[in-house]
Amino acid sequence: MNHKHSDPLDRALGSLPRDVQPERDLWSDIRAEISTPSAATRSASPRAAMRLWMSLAAGFLLIVASSVTTYVITQQAAQKKLLVAQQAAAAQLQQAPAVAVMPASFGGQEAMSAEYLRARQALDAEFQRQIKTLPPVTRAKLERNLADLRRAASEISATLAEHPNHALLQELLLSTYQSELALLGSVTNLSVPTLTSTPSETRL
Amino acid sequence: MLSGALAVATAHNNVMTADRSPLSDGALVDSARQGDMRAFERLYRLHSARVMGVCLRMCRRRDVAEDCVQQTFVRAWRNLSAFEGRSAFGTWLHRIAVNEVLTYARNHGTRTEGDDSLDAADEGSQATPGEFDASEVMDVERALATLPEGARHVVVLQAVYGYSHEEVADMLGIAVGTCKAQLHRGRRLLRERMGLGDAPLAEVES
Repeated sequence: MNHKHSDPLDRALGSLPRDVQPERDLWSDIRAEISTPSAATRSASPRAAMRLWMSLAAGFLLIVASSVTTYVITQQAAQKKLLVAQQAAAAQLQQAPAVAVMPASFGGQEAMSAEYLRARQALDAEFQRQIKTLPPVTRAKLERNLADLRRAASEISATLAEHPNHALLQELLLSTYQSELALLGSVTNLSVPTLTSTPSETRL
Repeated sequence: MLSGALAVATAHNNVMTADRSPLSDGALVDSARQGDMRAFERLYRLHSARVMGVCLRMCRRRDVAEDCVQQTFVRAWRNLSAFEGRSAFGTWLHRIAVNEVLTYARNHGTRTEGDDSLDAADEGSQATPGEFDASEVMDVERALATLPEGARHVVVLQAVYGYSHEEVADMLGIAVGTCKAQLHRGRRLLRERMGLGDAPLAEVES
């Protein structure tokens, strides 16, 4: 420290003013320059705008692509489900072939009248025609229900053949036929014959 | 010219000192970061004279020094977010200012010596002709202005503004060893030009 103070060079350097005032006030120029965007910022603005639009366009395309993909996949899944339902309904229909032509019998003692069979045949034909115009899902559902009814009628009829005097089975078979006719009629809009049962005979 | 300007400028020092704000640099920087231009103007008022001193002694031309000061504050404003407060705000400004001076020198070829290496440091041949007369005994300001650029930069930053070897080396982008050598060289040249005789033994040994 003493050396520093005793050295004339250090004394001379130490005597120099650290501050030197600019001859003019630079603040106005500085303020003007920092108040306006820099050249880099100005040139970056169009690029930034372009990037923004590119980002928006990319986002829009992504949304559209995603929506289309979702729609296609959903449609494919629905078609697949529909196809499965239709195949299942067709299989069920094939499993109950006898019902459509089965002569209605009540234990072999009473036969369905010819009038009933004609009406049923007409309903069935109209049903097959009308059902093709229905939406696939509805069509599959109706075909499945019809197949269930016909399979039930076939099983009841077979049981009734073993127990021809079983009143409950007779009522059940009648009710099943009536349900089948109601189903056919709901699609065809044709008048549905009413099945009645008497102790000795069941007629339309 | 430089000595006269510095003499006039020195008279402003007391005004600068009296003008110091009770607000700390940190508070002003925080406000300026929020876009408060008045706070930044206050920082300019507080620090511009010292930044001008650094620039003027480094580049020796008042017009260039003022341009460097102006660009220093413009750059500081645009980079306030980068100021982490690990050093004093004034030190941060000085770093920017030194960089501005060096950039100006690079772009405008103002280096007075073609080779700044120590081997080419034959002092009599290094200064711009007409800037000094070898027989003239100069005051320190004038002698400083005649130093070769590399030595002058180091002497200004270290001997006048008090930065360490490491800080000066970092500011100028040179090795610490080079910084020490340039300081030794600069001091030797100053002694000769100021007619101060030989250096003390301690300086020679260092």
